[in-house]
Amino acid sequence: MNIADSERVSSVLEGMGYEKTDNEEDASLLGILACSVRQKPIDKVYNKIAQWNKWKNKRNLITFVSGCLLPADKEKFLKTFDLIFPMSELAQFPDMIREYGVVTPAGLKTPAVLMPKNEHITAMWHIKPKYQSTYEAFVPIQNGCDKFCTFCAVPYTRGREVSRPSDEIIEEVRNLVNQGYKSITLLGQNVNSYGLDKKGEEITFAGLLREIGEFGRTSEHEFWVYFTSPHPQDMNREVIEVIASFDCLAKQIHLPMQSGDEKVLIKMNRRHSMDKYRHIVADIRELIPQATLFTDIIVGFTGEGEAEFQHTIDAMEEFKFNMAYIAMYSPRPGAASFRWEDEVSQEDKKDRLHRLSEILKITSHDYNESMLGKLVRLLVNGTDRKTGFSTGLTEGKVIVRLDRRDDSLMGQIVNVKITSASFLSMSGEVV
Amino acid sequence: MRPDLQMDESFYKVEEIRTLTGNAFSLKLPKARFAFKAGQHISLGIVGGNQSREYSIYSGENDENLEVLVKEVESGYFTPQLRRLKVGRMVEVHGPFGKFGMEPEAAKTGKFVFIASGTGIAPFRSIVRTYPGIDYQLIHGVRYAEEAYDSHEYENSRYVLCTSRENKGAYHGRLTGYLKTCTFAPETHFDLCGNSNMIFDALEILREKGFDRDQIHCEVYF
Repeated sequence: MNIADSERVSSVLEGMGYEKTDNEEDASLLGILACSVRQKPIDKVYNKIAQWNKWKNKRNLITFVSGCLLPADKEKFLKTFDLIFPMSELAQFPDMIREYGVVTPAGLKTPAVLMPKNEHITAMWHIKPKYQSTYEAFVPIQNGCDKFCTFCAVPYTRGREVSRPSDEIIEEVRNLVNQGYKSITLLGQNVNSYGLDKKGEEITFAGLLREIGEFGRTSEHEFWVYFTSPHPQDMNREVIEVIASFDCLAKQIHLPMQSGDEKVLIKMNRRHSMDKYRHIVADIRELIPQATLFTDIIVGFTGEGEAEFQHTIDAMEEFKFNMAYIAMYSPRPGAASFRWEDEVSQEDKKDRLHRLSEILKITSHDYNESMLGKLVRLLVNGTDRKTGFSTGLTEGKVIVRLDRRDDSLMGQIVNVKITSASFLSMSGEVV
Repeated sequence: MRPDLQMDESFYKVEEIRTLTGNAFSLKLPKARFAFKAGQHISLGIVGGNQSREYSIYSGENDENLEVLVKEVESGYFTPQLRRLKVGRMVEVHGPFGKFGMEPEAAKTGKFVFIASGTGIAPFRSIVRTYPGIDYQLIHGVRYAEEAYDSHEYENSRYVLCTSRENKGAYHGRLTGYLKTCTFAPETHFDLCGNSNMIFDALEILREKGFDRDQIHCEVYF
């Protein structure tokens, strides 16, 4: 989400005449898009602004902060940053800078317009992003969260669920595809709650995917559309049926589980049972057998004893994830669980993370091994740090390392034969 | 300007504070422009403060006021501030949120058991006030009988008070103890609201009794 946000911030600033610099010390405007999901990134923000404020003694500098901000952090940042605003007010950012008396080429000709509060998020979506990549793009479809998971502060930082109009989303996807983009990720805190806030006046998430799928069917370009993150509560068979029906809808599903234990799920206020999760996975396996399955898991949440953790181990073994983003629980100020004792020791959390990672190694390796000798389509998107050879992602987002470097393939989808498998990645050769 | 419309569309003036027990009270806010479904919750903050909490709506869909039920947590941060609010002060309300509740058609034909601990009774009062003809039984677990908030509003035959710290309810002990003694019709739907430990224990008991997870709906208080 922060990549998509930063692309829009870049676009606004360049529209004002600012030029990007890679050197902080040369900048006249410095800002941060913060993330409050964990404490560490917020600690970094405090360090950064302390340094920047020292620089202010020597030169003119405006500082800003936006993104996911908790009220308590906001209060402190008000004293240290020059500008602080929610992403939904990005369209007013030029006016804020102008109020500092900064004259920019665009600032001289753009009238300052204050928009009503409820239109801010819409205005943010109207800003054409300056994409960082020529083949991979992120398209926000929804902002905010109404789920109130007890470990998460997003409803208090991003606000409540608001869906972007579907015609805008489809237009942005269409433009990206026509420009040659190959990988497009639909973004939101709860993508599959898409449209529900409009109470029947907007299509559902399944409807949105279907329209994108129909466009893909008529397009001469090959591209893959992903989405993240969905919530199991609003996941249904219709969404899976639609993904199965259209080639351009990537056969990779990220379905956060967070815990395999009913009691912990209740404590997390996840609003779905393991039965529900199991049904969704069964539907995926039935309708899209080739799909890869990714998940998010938190270990060491308050109330997770060894018996509860064992259920997460069982679930990891049962669902055979291709990838699991496993995090050790840390209480976030602003989240409901912050008020509870963080009762699982750091040692136990590390041990549990390690044990789940070992299962992930086995299940991902089993899948990768099943791909040996097969031909896959691969989006080449980088180079291996060790070998310097080209690397890419399959449609299922499994990393494949190629046997040579070929920069001409960057951003292209090519045929690759899988020659070896390890955990979390495979090797292959272009054919 | 409409009398309930203040500065910001999410700001509401406190119209009445109704004391229920020594540490429980309800806040009544103007309802005029707030549409919700019985069972849903709101996010409530004090204007000028920097925190908010979620509260199930305590009033019915057609009541004159939007009402929430609050129990002051002695060492808490937020509820003591709510406790100090005076009539006329402004609060900030966002929502409604959530899918916990009742479909109008189901309310006409279904058979329901509502299981609540403490202030978890709030969404069930909203449902019962919205659908007066609903076929329900309400099992309410509290520590002391005085916590039977507005219990006079429910028919005696439908309301079971379980008191764990004194013998003044229909059942002396935890509501989960009472639940174990009960027999329910196979088509019953169960709605649970309260703290996570109660919900989990009740869920286990109901599953042991053979009820499908799809028949059981939960709203956790935290």
